[in-house]
Amino acid sequence: MSTEEKSAAPRSLAEALRVRDDVSLAALLRSRPDLITPVPTDLTQLATRAGTRASVVRALERLDRFALQTAEALAVAPDPASYGELLGLMAGDEEDPAVAAALPRAAALLREQALVWGADDRLRLVRTARELLAPSPQHPSPTGLGPTVREATAGMSPGRIQEILAAVGLRSTHDSVSAVSALGALFADRRRMAALLAGLPAESREVLDRLVWGPPYGQVTHDPAAHLRALLDRGLLLPTAPGTVVLPREVALHLRAGRAHRAPEPVPPPVEAAATHRPQVVDATAAGQALAALATVDELLKEWDEGGPSVLRAGGLSVRDLKRTAVALDVPEPVAAFWVELAYGAGLIASDGEADERYAATPAYDEWRELPPAERWARLAGTWLTATRTPGVVGGRDAKDRTLSALGPNLDRSAAPEVRHRVLALLAGLPEGASPVAESVLARLRWERPLRGPQQQRETGTGAARDDDLRSRIARWTLSEAELLGVTGRGALAAPGRALIGAPEAPRPATADDTGEPEGPGDKLPVHHHRTPPVTAPPSPAERAAATATAARLLAPLFPEPLDHVLLQADLTAVAPGPLEQELADVLGVLADVESKGGATVYRFTPGSVRRALDAGQSAADLHAFLARHSRTPVPQPLTYLIDDVARRHGRLRVGAASAYVRCDDDATLDEILADKRAAGLGLRRLAPTVLAAQADPAALLEGLRAIGFAPAAESAAGDVLIARADSHRTPPRAAPEPVPDGPPAPDDTLLTAAIRAVRAGDLASTTPRKPGPAGEDGGGEDGTPGGTLPRTGAAETLATMQAAVLTGEALWIGYVNAEGAASQRVIAPIRVEGGFVTAYDHTADEVRTYPLHRVTGVAELADDAG
Amino acid sequence: MNGPLIVQSDKTLLLEVDHEQAADCRRAIAPFAELERAPEHIHTYRVTPLGLWNARAAGHDAEQVVDALVEYSRYPVPHALLVDIAETMDRYGRLTLSKHPAHGLVLTTTDRPVLEEVLKSKRIAPLVGTRIDADTVAVHPSERGQIKQTLLKLGWPAEDLAGYVDGEAHPIELAEDGWALRPYQKQAVENFWHGGSGVVVLPCGAGKTLVGAGAMAQARSTTLILVTNTVSARQWKHELVKRTSLTEDEIGEYSGTRKEIRPVTIATYQVLTTRRKGVYPHLELFDSRDWGLIVYDEVHLLPAPVFKFTADLQARRRLGLTATLVREDGRESDVFSLIGPKRFDAPWKEIEAQGYIAPADCVEVRVNLTDSERLAYATAETEEKYRFCATTDTKRKVTEAIVRRFAGQQILVIGQYIDQLDELGEHLGAPVIKGETSNAQREKLFESFRQGEISVLVVSKVANFSIDLPEATVAIQVSGTFGSRQEEAQRLGRVLRPKADGHQAHFYSVVARDTLDQDFAAHRQRFLAEQGYAYRIMDADEVLG
Repeated sequence: MSTEEKSAAPRSLAEALRVRDDVSLAALLRSRPDLITPVPTDLTQLATRAGTRASVVRALERLDRFALQTAEALAVAPDPASYGELLGLMAGDEEDPAVAAALPRAAALLREQALVWGADDRLRLVRTARELLAPSPQHPSPTGLGPTVREATAGMSPGRIQEILAAVGLRSTHDSVSAVSALGALFADRRRMAALLAGLPAESREVLDRLVWGPPYGQVTHDPAAHLRALLDRGLLLPTAPGTVVLPREVALHLRAGRAHRAPEPVPPPVEAAATHRPQVVDATAAGQALAALATVDELLKEWDEGGPSVLRAGGLSVRDLKRTAVALDVPEPVAAFWVELAYGAGLIASDGEADERYAATPAYDEWRELPPAERWARLAGTWLTATRTPGVVGGRDAKDRTLSALGPNLDRSAAPEVRHRVLALLAGLPEGASPVAESVLARLRWERPLRGPQQQRETGTGAARDDDLRSRIARWTLSEAELLGVTGRGALAAPGRALIGAPEAPRPATADDTGEPEGPGDKLPVHHHRTPPVTAPPSPAERAAATATAARLLAPLFPEPLDHVLLQADLTAVAPGPLEQELADVLGVLADVESKGGATVYRFTPGSVRRALDAGQSAADLHAFLARHSRTPVPQPLTYLIDDVARRHGRLRVGAASAYVRCDDDATLDEILADKRAAGLGLRRLAPTVLAAQADPAALLEGLRAIGFAPAAESAAGDVLIARADSHRTPPRAAPEPVPDGPPAPDDTLLTAAIRAVRAGDLASTTPRKPGPAGEDGGGEDGTPGGTLPRTGAAETLATMQAAVLTGEALWIGYVNAEGAASQRVIAPIRVEGGFVTAYDHTADEVRTYPLHRVTGVAELADDAG
Repeated sequence: MNGPLIVQSDKTLLLEVDHEQAADCRRAIAPFAELERAPEHIHTYRVTPLGLWNARAAGHDAEQVVDALVEYSRYPVPHALLVDIAETMDRYGRLTLSKHPAHGLVLTTTDRPVLEEVLKSKRIAPLVGTRIDADTVAVHPSERGQIKQTLLKLGWPAEDLAGYVDGEAHPIELAEDGWALRPYQKQAVENFWHGGSGVVVLPCGAGKTLVGAGAMAQARSTTLILVTNTVSARQWKHELVKRTSLTEDEIGEYSGTRKEIRPVTIATYQVLTTRRKGVYPHLELFDSRDWGLIVYDEVHLLPAPVFKFTADLQARRRLGLTATLVREDGRESDVFSLIGPKRFDAPWKEIEAQGYIAPADCVEVRVNLTDSERLAYATAETEEKYRFCATTDTKRKVTEAIVRRFAGQQILVIGQYIDQLDELGEHLGAPVIKGETSNAQREKLFESFRQGEISVLVVSKVANFSIDLPEATVAIQVSGTFGSRQEEAQRLGRVLRPKADGHQAHFYSVVARDTLDQDFAAHRQRFLAEQGYAYRIMDADEVLG
């Protein structure tokens, strides 16, 4: 960019861009990527695009507060303005050194962003930006400045201007233009202005004081008081509309000692540390929380394992289901929403897509479970960092006043990933182990990305609290979610979290960046990326993958080693004093009920839980061996006894299905039946010496036994002998025949209405008077006879008329021959003609139909009075 | 980070007892955490709002609590829990009950919105008087207990600075001739006195009476002692005469038979709760003298009418004594709020380790019902089922076998059902003490049991509490009051008094297998199992064989 200043002064933005080197152009395009989508053909086009309103607004919204203030100052400065003038506006008469030091950076940034061009003596704000930022009655500037004398006196009568000149003691001139410049020059001259103001009554100066920081407009009555009149006479207030006056910009600047902003903020507010913990404590706490996060997600998925909650019709989770999940996870609802969204974002749960739609774990969940814990965490954390879905808004309402539900639509907030990343980056800038004051983080974010037009908000009162904007809310959520997820520990960024955002691993405490000390003066080159808002381009997927891998690597050693043993106690509890190996945890989870969770797990053995293990196919011996293997201490006798006791009773009652039974007091007869080959098909099994169970139904069993040569009797459910007559033959279930009445059934109202309608429509088709066909060959004299012959036109003409009707939207009368060769006439309004078909609204049938064109025998326009 | 403590997210603390720092850790967390379970390896403590507030009342602040947790925790302590602890403790002391020179008892606040919030509560409104200024409201002196209880439930506990009345002075000294208060008893008295009022929890046989005597010697004022029954009243009297400077004449008994009111009066719960025409005539006893100290023996049995009256006695020092603060009606928290917080608690096993109570071998003997009994049991009416299985014949055989095994030792057979006890008494040739046995007869039998003239005694639940049978070494429980945990503990307590020869005590619980009896037994044993008493389970055949 320095080259640009040496060359001849550029005359347009395009020229200014043309002389910039590749590096600086690249910087421009990096920060304003919208300029290269699509890639412009030349620099003129690039400059044009850079000047479009949408692009400029976007660029302005991404400026930090001081750069924006600088742009705002330029918008109220003369065009072009010299750097000196700009400095005067920003630093004021007393030349605030901090502003003077920071201004080169801001100016360079604006220039880099192609919002400002021109050499230092002729700085120009691009026109669109000027229009956006310059004050107007509709859009007051954040500077609180009003129009210049020239703007405010436009349209004022020359006589009035002369009066003002006289009142302030200037030589009168008949040239209005030079008169106005003389007045402006007077107002801008500090010394003469001071003298002028000194001559005013105190009340008048109070009025000026009230308007000086804006809004610069005031109301006056038709007959103003003396102190107001004094101001009006001297042009210190100029009328804008009847009853409204404005403080001209030059006057205001004089009163403000030359400053465009009441409070220029050249230095980003530092992120303050609330407390500093030992980095080991931070890392350990974060790791503990990371483990808890994994456990929670696991618990959630387990909770939903056998059919999760159903999907609302509009998508998402019902409030009740969220509540239930919150209770199951033992967390407040917003936190439950966070976990649910996290699992969803990581692709671990999704809707199952069945007719009765429910949420369920995805196959990815099973894969995820197989990963080592640190990688599982990295996957969750990586998802969280880049997600645009923000669980924080769950429970709120969207623009259409619909409740936003977890997993539902409209949760995406595109600013979220960038804010999250930025918040964590700010934390990374703090010394190791320091937790931030949340307010200072928010203040810093607001500085980096101020809301445009805060003044408007303040005026209308809709802005409410300053930190109620979406970015601040996302930042707050980020701080609490980072803690939940174990990205931070006790509020401070932990080592894995630091790696996650790709920040350097070992930060030096308190870099200059965060103490907010200005860089050396004169450093104008646009290399201040660390001071500017973050580059909006997200890290590439490869970079992200590398960052999460590093995070996982750093986290892994922080996790406690999974244990292979538990402590068994005589009160029938087992305590796992740390995370267990997956396999052990799985078996124990079946064998005992979990009583308490956290760093350790407390299990309780109950007859019910032991039975569950036996049901799962374990034998008592397996269980004894399992406990002995995993217990550091002898297995307590009551526990051994409990298992034996439950096992002793387990399965003593057996339940199975049989269709019929055979009982006989004589064992030998049953032996005989079992031995008989012919009985093989009956599926007999001996349950007791005197009872056989059969898979065949009672009738088949009776039949089979009779066939072998026995004489069995059937038994009722109560055990009585059934006296069976010869089998009655039955059909499978059949419906009774419908009665066939003499005539058709009486029509109901719906049918009647429809019928009448159809009749009327057909009537319309046949009676509608037609225009004579263009060729005059459509039936000649039969024209006047309704219900007569079908219209008849040539194929080309039919097509042309149809197409014309599509354009005009008129209805046509057509003759049509259906597939059976029956001819009819219809009134249609063609909608589309293509591929040999016409799609049309058929007035006759009262619906949209498609007709093959070759079946249309002819077409005629309806007479104008039809319909 | 390798401490003995694991802080769970459900606010339980797991303490690994074998850890070298375990003792230090126990001391650090004792002020604010309740010991919930004390089995062999891992003790469970629970952090409750009540515990945290008591810690605040005792002068601990949130910083100390958090430090204790962080210092001893093996894993990082969940941040949310630390925040929660700080917030909970911060709620204490926003409201204060104090004496105002002009307005009497007043509730003042340092945080006006809190006062506004509690005054809005419908339950508080009837308890307070006029609003004196923005931060102060008058409270009826008689509602002092009630308002404290209600504020506690609302989550804004009041700090009670109104103090205690001294009561009528009466000289009482401990007569420590040839004996002295044990260290833990001294500690209990000290904690109680420092805290003003409260409950002391000590295992059966660990000398709770002496803690009462110690407290009386501290108070040096007239004392009302409430006990469960007349026998217990006599024993208190006997003990007090023996251990203190009090003479027989200074101690009155206020029971069904005698109505003496003396400087130290021992009354039974039964007489206090006698109701005539809808009123409790004997509750006047509370007002009959200017008592300086009220002792509630076996406070877990405190009957409901006494709750209400105790609420009105907040200006007097109150000492509750119990072995097991588990109430089957779940009103433990009422005891805490009316009598006072737990001031001292010692795990049974710790006292046992110090040698002050005898080690006990707890055995559950499982007997099988005979086939015909099983059938009868299966068809019995629901309300009869427990009685049926608890009184199976096999239990008698097993009991006889155990008695034979310990022949020569002092044996107690304890049961619920009179028929069963009578039958046992007959078979064992032992006297039976039940509800209808006269007090004179009871004392006579106890005395001869003490003297070793009879070695087997069959007792019904009348003997559950406060009978002093120093040399019983074996107790056999054949049936009980369903699943009562504290009854089990009390019964075990019968054999825990230290034996002269350092003998182990034996506690047998005979249980019918696969019946309600077994389920109840499991529930009954829970408290003791959590105190570290590991029950062995034996089959009846092992005993009989």
